Amino acid sequence: MAALHEKKSCSQRMEEFQRYCWNPDTGQMLGRTLSRWVWISLYYVAFYVVMTGLFALCIYSLMCTLDPYTPDYQDRLKSPGVTLRPDVYGEKGLDISYNVSDSRTWTNLVHTLHDFLEGYSPAAQEDNINCTSNKVFIQESFGAPNHTKFSCKFTADMLQNCSGLQDPNFGFEEGKPCFIIKMNRIVRFLPSNTTAPRVDCAFLDQPKDIQPLQVEYYPPNGTFSLHYFPYYGNKAQPHYSNPLVAAKLLNVPGNTEVVIVCKILAEHVTYDNPHDPFEGKVEFKLKIEN
Amino acid sequence: MGQKTPQIYSVELNGAKDMKQTDKGDDKDKYRGLWSTCLELRKNHHKEHVTKEIDLGLSSTQAAELLARDGPNALSPPQETPEIIKFLKQMVGGFSILLWVGAILCWIAYGIQFSNDKSSSLDNVYLGTVLALVVILTGIFAYYQEAKSTNIMASFSKMIPQQALVIRDSEKKIIPAEQLVVGDIVEIKGGDQIPADIRLLFAQGCKVDNSSLTGESEPQPRSCEFTHDNPLETKNIGFYSTTCLEGTATGMVINTGDRTIIGHIASLASGVGNEKTPIATEIEHFVHIVAGVAISIGVLFFIIAVSMKYRVLDSIIFLIGIIVANVPEGLLATVTVTLSLTAKRMAKKNCLVKNLEAVETLGSTSIICSDKTGTLTQNRMTVAHLWFDNQIFMADTSEDHFKQTFDQSSGTWASLSKIITLCNRAEFRPGQERVPIMKRVVVGDASETALLKFSEVVLGDVMEIRKRNHKVAEIPFNSTNKFQLSIHKTDDPTDKRFLMVMKGAPEKILEKCSTIMVNGQEQPLDQSTAEAFYTAYMELGGLGERVLGFCHLYLSADEFPETYSFDVDAMNFPMSNLCFVGLLSMIDPPRSTVPDAITKCRSAGIKVIMVTGDHPITAKAIAKSVGIISANSETVEDIAKRLNIAVEQVNKQDAKAVVVTGMELKDMSEDQLDEVLTSYPEIVFARTSPQQKLIIVEGCQRQDAVVAVTGDGVNDSPALKKADIGIAMGIAGSDAAKNAADMVLLDDNFASIVTGVEEGRLIFDNLKKTIAYTLTKNIAELCPFLIYIIVGVPLPLGTITILFIDLGTDIVPSIALAYEKAESDIMNRKPRHKKKDRLVNKPLAVYSYLHIGLMQSLGAFLVYFTVYAQEGFRPSTLINLRVEWEKDFVNNLEDSYGQEWTRYQRKYLEWTGYTAFFIGIMIQQIADLIIRKTRKNSIFQQGLFRNKVIWVGIASQIIIALILSYGLGSITALNFTMLRPQYWFVAVPHAFLIWVYDEVRKLFIRLYPGSWWDKNMYY
Repeated sequence: MAALHEKKSCSQRMEEFQRYCWNPDTGQMLGRTLSRWVWISLYYVAFYVVMTGLFALCIYSLMCTLDPYTPDYQDRLKSPGVTLRPDVYGEKGLDISYNVSDSRTWTNLVHTLHDFLEGYSPAAQEDNINCTSNKVFIQESFGAPNHTKFSCKFTADMLQNCSGLQDPNFGFEEGKPCFIIKMNRIVRFLPSNTTAPRVDCAFLDQPKDIQPLQVEYYPPNGTFSLHYFPYYGNKAQPHYSNPLVAAKLLNVPGNTEVVIVCKILAEHVTYDNPHDPFEGKVEFKLKIEN
Repeated sequence: MGQKTPQIYSVELNGAKDMKQTDKGDDKDKYRGLWSTCLELRKNHHKEHVTKEIDLGLSSTQAAELLARDGPNALSPPQETPEIIKFLKQMVGGFSILLWVGAILCWIAYGIQFSNDKSSSLDNVYLGTVLALVVILTGIFAYYQEAKSTNIMASFSKMIPQQALVIRDSEKKIIPAEQLVVGDIVEIKGGDQIPADIRLLFAQGCKVDNSSLTGESEPQPRSCEFTHDNPLETKNIGFYSTTCLEGTATGMVINTGDRTIIGHIASLASGVGNEKTPIATEIEHFVHIVAGVAISIGVLFFIIAVSMKYRVLDSIIFLIGIIVANVPEGLLATVTVTLSLTAKRMAKKNCLVKNLEAVETLGSTSIICSDKTGTLTQNRMTVAHLWFDNQIFMADTSEDHFKQTFDQSSGTWASLSKIITLCNRAEFRPGQERVPIMKRVVVGDASETALLKFSEVVLGDVMEIRKRNHKVAEIPFNSTNKFQLSIHKTDDPTDKRFLMVMKGAPEKILEKCSTIMVNGQEQPLDQSTAEAFYTAYMELGGLGERVLGFCHLYLSADEFPETYSFDVDAMNFPMSNLCFVGLLSMIDPPRSTVPDAITKCRSAGIKVIMVTGDHPITAKAIAKSVGIISANSETVEDIAKRLNIAVEQVNKQDAKAVVVTGMELKDMSEDQLDEVLTSYPEIVFARTSPQQKLIIVEGCQRQDAVVAVTGDGVNDSPALKKADIGIAMGIAGSDAAKNAADMVLLDDNFASIVTGVEEGRLIFDNLKKTIAYTLTKNIAELCPFLIYIIVGVPLPLGTITILFIDLGTDIVPSIALAYEKAESDIMNRKPRHKKKDRLVNKPLAVYSYLHIGLMQSLGAFLVYFTVYAQEGFRPSTLINLRVEWEKDFVNNLEDSYGQEWTRYQRKYLEWTGYTAFFIGIMIQQIADLIIRKTRKNSIFQQGLFRNKVIWVGIASQIIIALILSYGLGSITALNFTMLRPQYWFVAVPHAFLIWVYDEVRKLFIRLYPGSWWDKNMYY
């Protein structure tokens, strides 16, 4: 019964609300007088300043504990990811298709490759040194200028036929396209100790009716030379650039969609993680129409 | 409601006039039916016709036909809500709605995502499903709890089937009372319950107790005379469920089952609506707050997101996410568990709670309208005082030990005890030798029982004494001569005189006496002794006690030789010049635990109002002895008497107490009643009809009070239903009362109500703590989302993970808070104000959200940033990384060290982040749990280890977290990963900070009560 008596009309409610917003009798707005509002605001400002300060202090001390060159943990980066250029993504993963006779369908792909290789022009690689050792390039000291470490040069011309220099169309127009494979950087990661990691591309689930995939690798054998490893992080090697391998696919059957997988074969690189399709390998669909 | 209530009073039993006045509306037909049946019967059934029917009765076939037509003679149980409705009610009550909305929003969100991107994650579907499951499971749980308490109730109603002696086919048969039909001829005798509404055709010394109907236990004579047009007043109708006290009667059944008067009253009770319980209101208020916060933050961030150029679709998903993150999924179950734990605890203390929410209602009770008989008193007459040798002696009236300490050496006592023993027709039922005297069953009326037990305790084997003093003649007590007399041979073989003993109304006894016994010697009764007698009589009467006088006379052996034949009709023995021996007074004494309980109520700010059908003097005396009227307060009449002035001249403000009789109440307007209720702290309503109880309850409710009402009769059921919490008596209570009540006192003891109040208040405090605890982490769950939207860091806490906090780690701890002991004496503070002292008030929400919640978020973010930084993503890199981070086709995202991450590697790190954030919240929730143990006292005052369940809660939190992180770490669907052990300790300093901050808060509250700090920080 009491509840029934409580029922207020809309105008009453509005009036009450208005009174809550500004009560002329007590000088209260929103339930507090002005001075009360100032007090409570001051308290909150102080409280939040102190809390923010404490948090900042915590973050600051966290930063102080961090090694600037090597992250504390790399348990998530046991094996490097692999990426592919040109990279066009479809519904599920990389999906590249073009028509040989229609240049509009592949100029974008070629353009991507050119853009990508711009970072490997001799000008861009100017600060890096020439390496020929083909052995792991361990640097304990900071021998390079500005307290850094040396990085080895990798220039586009090392990709020869797939450098875009001799063939600006990367073989797309003749149905023998070049794909550039890049391995992700991981600080102090050694893919193997002695033999250089090598790229191996093949059809995923080799179809019976077609020949095995023939690939021409650049640099020859499709290896990442070991002198590019290990990577010491962007603070020690600010100009480091990932070594690349280009794979020129020679016998892609026309007008059919094929799935190609390029794996990195090396001692410490795994490519069998069921959850991660890009760990140690890269898969892509390819369809070349004539 | 206001329009309907008068109909309830239409069963007013005081006169036909009332009935005609109020007999309007729906109930008119019912009564007309009843009336006409009676009148018709009176007219049509001629005497000879009836006599014939008495002999023959109905034939079995006739009876069977009528039974088929009218149904069995039993009250149909109150309209049961169908089980499915009850179940569905649990599914949509309060919180459930919010959760349903959350679940549906989740599915909508998934729908939007799916239509956008076919490969979108199923998180939202899981979330929605889990939310729906939560509602359904908690609903089932609550339903089960309710059903369990209902089952306990059901056991009450299974009484031994009543039998009736009926004449059918001209044979006397015993049949179950359920099979009675209209027209049956039934025979009843003293002790029987009347099996239906019957019109008496023949009665001999028949008296009935209509207390189950009217609440007045005064025996009422019944005859076959038609004396009144009103069926309730006429003497020739006996009512269903009332008892025949003595005599025998034969009657014809005129109404059966629901058509009986009691059936009407029972059905009226179901017409009184149930008020919403205070805790339900509070929960609703809480839901409003949570929903308000959720929606306003959601909308605010929707606007922010849109103005930050997020896609509208994404913004809508954010909005839904925020709303969902704000719903405390586990709280519904927690509240139910908490309430049922308390209900269990209360059941152990003899308060059986039918409706879980009523647990708290008792705690907020501010007025208790209590019955007198049986609740405040022991419900048995007991000898309280004796007067002989010009002295008043006290007798022990406590329940168990019955040591009488008064002087028993006087010769007068020897005589008095003999009269008490001999002039008494009550007897113990045989076979009870082992039973304590006070608990034995006695055949006889209340006063005689009291005297029998009294003499058995003082003198020993009464039956043996009676045997030795053989009874030769007897006149039983009746209301015309107002005395009882018996003549005995004495046990002294040398004394051949007969002893005549007599007891009765003191003034009648005194009239018959010419001498009085003092110190064993007979003395002539002179003016001064007579005056002493009257003083004692008035004094004892003023105590509200029933006083009896006792006298005796040894009949001389010459006049009355051993062979003399006494004729009680001719009265061939002297009836004057007897020897007055003494007075003895009896009362239904208060239960020994009650005064203490009343004191507790008073200190707890609960007003106890006595509502009784008893005489005002008795009522007042009991009220005084139990403390309802405290020792030093006076009524207007008391003051007038003390000052020797007229009642009208007394300043009413001086009087603290008042005794209002039913007659006065009848003439009062609503305003006058309100005035009485507000102006006197101590109120006794006497001589009230049970229907007036309802008026009183409504009056109290008009004062915004939460009213508890105790009752046992069928007629109390409307008041029980109307009350905020109806309390029925488990032993003396009728089924109708138990059905209407929210709570049943298993021991009929008022003191149990007080323990109930204590539990109710404790649960309110503890629910506050539980809610504060639960609300806190809502902010810590919400902040990640807000930071994710505004700053663009990878999502710190997944929705599934939120569920594991809400429904996993937090459940046991929040229940554990229900076991927390009271901080201070909760029985020393005023009952909470229904509208001012909310369960969730502003300080609670603000403190939980903006203080502790914020601190918790910062602590959890610290763990999150630590994990990311040590894996290579410094906080500066994380900012605005969201878009790149979440792109599936970016598989070489650079971190702060120049390392490149594939999508899956990032995802795994994100889950590690979830786990880290989760652990951060969990660790700080431990601190939150500890600080919530008290609201004002220091934890060290409360004792860190007193509540062991809290530690069980903490252990459960840690164990669940360990299992989630290490046991299920490989199950990617749950988004938990193994977390390095050191990350478990990153938030520990923050946990301590929370504890210290809260201790400081409590310290200032204790140091400066009433200050600005207290007002803003005490929840």
